[in-house]
Amino acid sequence: MLDQFATPEPDEAVKLALRRIEESTARGEGSNVEGLAFNEVVVNMGPQHPSTHGVLRLVVTLDGELVKDVIPVIGYLHRCKEKLAEKRTYYQYIPIVDRTEYVAGMNCEWGYVMTVEKLAGIRPPRRAEVIRVIMAELNRIASHQVAVGTFTADLAPLGTAMVFYMFRDREYILDLLEEVSGARMMFNYFRFGGLRYDLPDGWVEKCRDLMKRLPKLIDEYESLVQDNAIFLQRCVGKGVITQQDVIDYGITGPCARASGVAHDLRRTRPYSVYPELDFKVCTESHGDVFDRYQVRMDEMRESVKIVEQALDMLPKGPVQLGSLRAPYVITPPPGECYTGQENPRGEYGTYIVSDGSRYPYRLKFRDPCFCNLQLFPKLLRGNKIADAVAISGSIDLVLGGIDR
Amino acid sequence: MGLEIGTNPMDMDAIAARLVADFAAALTDVRVQEPDTVVARCDRAALKDVARRLKAHPEIGYETLNFVAGVDRLRHLESVYHVYSWKTNTYLELHVEVPKSRAEIDTVCDVWPAADWHERESWDMVGIRYLGHPDLRRILLKDDFVGHPLRKDYVDLVENHPHA
Repeated sequence: MLDQFATPEPDEAVKLALRRIEESTARGEGSNVEGLAFNEVVVNMGPQHPSTHGVLRLVVTLDGELVKDVIPVIGYLHRCKEKLAEKRTYYQYIPIVDRTEYVAGMNCEWGYVMTVEKLAGIRPPRRAEVIRVIMAELNRIASHQVAVGTFTADLAPLGTAMVFYMFRDREYILDLLEEVSGARMMFNYFRFGGLRYDLPDGWVEKCRDLMKRLPKLIDEYESLVQDNAIFLQRCVGKGVITQQDVIDYGITGPCARASGVAHDLRRTRPYSVYPELDFKVCTESHGDVFDRYQVRMDEMRESVKIVEQALDMLPKGPVQLGSLRAPYVITPPPGECYTGQENPRGEYGTYIVSDGSRYPYRLKFRDPCFCNLQLFPKLLRGNKIADAVAISGSIDLVLGGIDR
Repeated sequence: MGLEIGTNPMDMDAIAARLVADFAAALTDVRVQEPDTVVARCDRAALKDVARRLKAHPEIGYETLNFVAGVDRLRHLESVYHVYSWKTNTYLELHVEVPKSRAEIDTVCDVWPAADWHERESWDMVGIRYLGHPDLRRILLKDDFVGHPLRKDYVDLVENHPHA
């Protein structure tokens, strides 16, 4: 019989935190307050905490307001995605990929589909490639809107004003994606060798129209926070990621680019029609919270440019290779393949080992948030707990991807 | 100041040849996988030494670990290391065989700090024990989980889930 009033046994992470306190006290590093064995307090932040954007749990060791140690505990959203792949055909697995990083479903699907195509030696028609770019960039804008919106809501100088502005405009983009694929977030739109549907009538004009309006809307967001003294105080110089951290921990995406590392797979490992497109890899130099915000803002503008160019070069033709329907059964030759794809959060890699059957023998996702989260203990140590919230917001975590 | 990417343009065959020349004894089956990956096998005992030298290599320098994946190959297990070279803007995929009877391998945490969580995941899912890892706990599954689900012979038993 479960006794619900009994104090639960501390789990491994909490035990580890307590052990580390004892060790640091034994080394004479703990703060010394009369009558207390140690001054540090172990606090569980999450898994249900509004600022962790999901079910991330941080076991935080606090000394007053200072963060002395952080132990991230993940796995609360683990849905056995890699195990599920063993019993699903390649085709059946596409909708599951949407649910890894659910904020940027199109990008994730593309990463997976691209890897299988590379493994099987399929090349989609050009119209499909261009539409894929449009979808990925639209989703990138929508994803950055969620990232920056919720981040500013965490900081709270504006309350929730910014997040509502951004979610309002994100809805325009999701409307466009819904019109194409039939779903707002769980698209199931990409197919091996093409796409499920062609663009509906009048979609291109609607998209163009939105792309004309978006830069003004992004200016509007910036005018909300850019000059706000509280916002700047909480962002500038906080949570600095150095270039050495980028190298050591494999940090990718806006977090790396904010530190001045121009690593963008659309440029450094180009795929699809990106080599033909003219866009800037947005970088900043300080690597602090503010720069990460700035990079995301700039990237939204660049994505608008990319979508406009892609709409201009949209060729006529089929969106699916061969017959009108995508192949249900696909059997790539034995071998293994890794492809990285530039997700809004960084390098979203798919590693597939094929044994020549209809099912992937082993499928592994290299999730950008998983790698970026690894830096958390180093990043948060020595900061105030309130800044820890700002820093974690600026890293932009999606737990669906981390826990898989 | 920015970290320069791809400042040392070498074509893939040159990189593969260079690796064969410099790591003759330790790396075998070196082949190029288009467009930008070199795939190689590495001996289990030599892994740590090879990792150190790969990272410190003056012309290629695989400085960043991308991910570690454990794979069950039925006869044996495999630990796959995917590393990135900033200088040449290329990747190296290192396959290391681990026997099932003694699924142990040296950690590369002290060479590439990023390996920490990836090795924990590989331990959690495939059951490869990384010797010398600072904190080899389960990462995605709960602490008292029994078994390693991505092994091909894994059987899910209800008795293993007392809280479910």
